[in-house]
Amino acid sequence: MLILTTFLTSCAGVKTLEIFKKEVPRENLNLDKPTPLELENLRWIIITSENAEEVFKKLEEQGIDPVLWGLTDKDFEMLAKNFARIRNQLKITNDLLDKYKEYYETPVKKKQ
Amino acid sequence: MFGSLKIAMVAIMITGIAGAGMYVMKLRSDNAILKANQLKLESAVAEQQELIASQKKDFEDILAANQKMNELVSVLKKDLTDLDKRFNKKNRDVGKLAIAKTKSIERITNGASALATRCIEIASGSPLTEKEKNATKKSEINSECPSIANPNYVPY
Repeated sequence: MLILTTFLTSCAGVKTLEIFKKEVPRENLNLDKPTPLELENLRWIIITSENAEEVFKKLEEQGIDPVLWGLTDKDFEMLAKNFARIRNQLKITNDLLDKYKEYYETPVKKKQ
Repeated sequence: MFGSLKIAMVAIMITGIAGAGMYVMKLRSDNAILKANQLKLESAVAEQQELIASQKKDFEDILAANQKMNELVSVLKKDLTDLDKRFNKKNRDVGKLAIAKTKSIERITNGASALATRCIEIASGSPLTEKEKNATKKSEINSECPSIANPNYVPY
């Protein structure tokens, strides 16, 4: 009886529990890049003390309100430089975004 | 007397043979485990080598990306310096020039403004046109931002 019990318990089909882990990579963010800007061209008008009257007259003839927002030559220079700085920053940020996307969202064959 | 001695001898021999057999079995089992371990180690070494190669590639990519970004920052700085030069080259006074040659300075300003507008579009991700890509001469380039608008232009 004892022998039979021993044989039966030894042959019981209990298997070793196997727990395995599989690393699941984080999903890519995949946000679309912002649409590139499409800007309007604007017209600069230079007014001096000599041509001011003529400029305003022309504006009226063209049906445009005879009013202008003015900048001195120095302010115009600063505006141009400010825009160039903004443009540079935009380019750097945009390229940085591309580099991050390229680095983190390009599939890499890695065995862990 | 001899009978019990014989039995003892036989018992010792059987025990000895059984022991040797078990020892051989153990050796065989150890050998199998060692073989399996060897395979696992070889596979681990291969995986580690692959990981090291992949890390090396990552470092190279990081270095290349840093270098590209540094190059971009320096060419953009040059564009800004060039703009400053256009305003102040040889003590140039744009205000006085505009008084003296109002119409031509107005034309130049509007031309430059249109180019600068295009520069912002490019900086925001707008694709380059074929004309911009193929520009190699000074007369063909976007003088406001050649570094980003005309990749094939080499300043001369």
